[in-house]
Amino acid sequence: MSDHGARILVIDDEPQIRKLLKVTLQAHKYSIYEASTGEEGVLQASLQMPDLIVLDLGLPDLSGMEVLSRIREWSHVPILVLTAKDREEDKIAALDGGADDYVTKPFGMGELVARIRVALRHAAKSANEPQLQFGELTIDLAQRIVELRGERVKLTPTEYDLLRILASNAGKVVTQRQLLQQVWGSQHTESDSHYLRVYIGHLRKKLEEDSTQPKFIVTEPGIGYRFLSRD
Amino acid sequence: MGNRNVLWMKWKSYIGITAIVIAMTIVLHPLEAAFDMVNIALVFLLPVLLSASLWGFRPALYAAVLSVLAFDFFFIPPRLSFTVADLRYLISFAVYLSVAALTASLSSRLKHQLLLSKQREAHTAVLYELSRELGAVTDLQSLIDSVSLQVSKTIGSEIAVFLPDEQNRLKLYLPSNAASNWGQREEGQAIARLVLNHNEAAGFGTETLRDDPGQYAPLRADNRIYGVLAVNLGGRTAEFGPEQQRLLEALTDLTASAIARMKLMEEARIAHLTAESERLRTAILDSVSHELRTPLAAIIGSATSLIEGDRLFSGEDRMELLQTIREGALRMNRLVQNLLGMVQLESGMLKLKRNWCDVEDLIGVALAQVKEFQQHRQIRVKLPDEVPLLVGDEVLLEQMLVNVVSNAIKYSSDSSVIDIVVRTSGDRLILTVTDRGVGLEEKEYDRIFDKFYRAKSSKNVTGTGLGLAICRGIAELHGGSISASPNEPQGTVITIALPLPTREDSNPDIIES
Repeated sequence: MSDHGARILVIDDEPQIRKLLKVTLQAHKYSIYEASTGEEGVLQASLQMPDLIVLDLGLPDLSGMEVLSRIREWSHVPILVLTAKDREEDKIAALDGGADDYVTKPFGMGELVARIRVALRHAAKSANEPQLQFGELTIDLAQRIVELRGERVKLTPTEYDLLRILASNAGKVVTQRQLLQQVWGSQHTESDSHYLRVYIGHLRKKLEEDSTQPKFIVTEPGIGYRFLSRD
Repeated sequence: MGNRNVLWMKWKSYIGITAIVIAMTIVLHPLEAAFDMVNIALVFLLPVLLSASLWGFRPALYAAVLSVLAFDFFFIPPRLSFTVADLRYLISFAVYLSVAALTASLSSRLKHQLLLSKQREAHTAVLYELSRELGAVTDLQSLIDSVSLQVSKTIGSEIAVFLPDEQNRLKLYLPSNAASNWGQREEGQAIARLVLNHNEAAGFGTETLRDDPGQYAPLRADNRIYGVLAVNLGGRTAEFGPEQQRLLEALTDLTASAIARMKLMEEARIAHLTAESERLRTAILDSVSHELRTPLAAIIGSATSLIEGDRLFSGEDRMELLQTIREGALRMNRLVQNLLGMVQLESGMLKLKRNWCDVEDLIGVALAQVKEFQQHRQIRVKLPDEVPLLVGDEVLLEQMLVNVVSNAIKYSSDSSVIDIVVRTSGDRLILTVTDRGVGLEEKEYDRIFDKFYRAKSSKNVTGTGLGLAICRGIAELHGGSISASPNEPQGTVITIALPLPTREDSNPDIIES
């Protein structure tokens, strides 16, 4: 994997969490820089120019959101946020505010490392791949053709747009608002979130063997959807 | 205004009598020759009887005197003079007057009795009505309003009620439609305090402070004084008789026993609540301390072993100890999550989000969450062809589903079957989770949704007794319900009913196909 050796900045006020991240991520061959406050984090981000930032949203000085927006003012570096379980609003705000993904505390290291890989890969990827391949599912972006196990799947334009956005962000969470904005445009209304559910339901019926145990499009409750990419 | 009216009524009777006597004299005068003197005398009894039955004793007596005078003046020789020639007529006059007086008194007493019995009947009706009303009320304000209404209907006065609080300070309660601020005057407090301390009525119509316009009576029931009822009798001294006094006393008694009943109910409720919160506290302590200490002991023990005896363990042992640490921590995490969830639900901190939720999706997410400990249990999902969307908080609904399905897994044997069935019934979406596990005792089906309640059969399974309580909280927050019933031949069915979106919420079928 090309992400080995990537430089990661960890911004977290809890020494225990920093230690855990440092030990584990170093074991995965990443170089780690640490910051214990928001101010220091913003500074380190500009000095070290890391390849990825892990940011705890619950910081004592600046709010995590503040740090996020200050870094986003000048950098597209992938940012992963750490949040508590019951803070859906924070997660959504962070994702809509430019974070690339989130991990809920307490988290397993396997999950965190997987998210880091996806984020690094997305950052490194060249923009225009004409075809996406996920196991038995092939999406031809140039011709707008979707094939499952070699057979063409008929999708409506909206279903196709949804699938395209989710699949080109494979492995990353996409919030409901991001989906609505990209499919329905900036004038989307509240009732469109109703259609979003319906279309995702249709899409699953066409793609999944068992829509209660989806293999491609999984729901992140209260946040949005994630297209699963298996390495 | 009222006084002038009464005065006018009084004078009207006397004027009427005078008019009748004059009229009779004018009519009878020319007939004098045709009638005997005795006949005329008897006719003159008429106005007496009439006024006795119409207006009472005094007007009747006035009628008698006036009739005698008219008879004497116009009919007894020498005429047009009060002089009586034949002295025997004086005896006749005396007899006439006594007959008149007797008739008048009998007739007016009869009238009075009739009046009294009518009044009693009215009072009985009032008391009956009030006692019926008071039997139904459950809060103090409506009780006071009922009493106030009846007192103002029968006696025409306003009331105020003084009740002592926990610190024995008198608190004033006024009817919600209090017309004046009479109840709030300062003397009221002082007199009420006096009444409460001496257990005797005071104010108007009593021995103490009789100049006060209000009458203050103790609200006494079962040898206990619950407070003081004050009635404003200012300006009604004339009409307020013993009959009203009796009625007022009866009303006071009724009020007292109603307040006593309410107090007792309140005390019983508080006693019950105290016992309940005591039970809850013990349960929380037991449950939380056990549920926290067990995994902590496992974590600390395993970690210490790993650090201290690094070389003693084989790779396999080490992995086992590490897994113990992980499991312990996960268990504590679940407990903390449940405790936090409960606190949020109970404190009302939780703001319910109203998003569109796909039930199929919710089930999918929940199943993904329980996958790790489902082992070999088969979970079958049956959905209707068209799964309706719900409006609600998907994170909470998912948590509810996870809790219910986890329970089904926890209390059923490995490789048994768990069924999740979704259907609609009227305006509700019904979701049932059926296991073939240990089941519950008959009387436990309601209790398992109580906080910290653990079923008898679950003593050897870890848990806090919070999961289903949280489920109930979530279901109710969404305007739904959750219930449990036995499954045949064994196991439990948990039924969740959630309201389907109304027509205003949804705007279906504008979907491209």
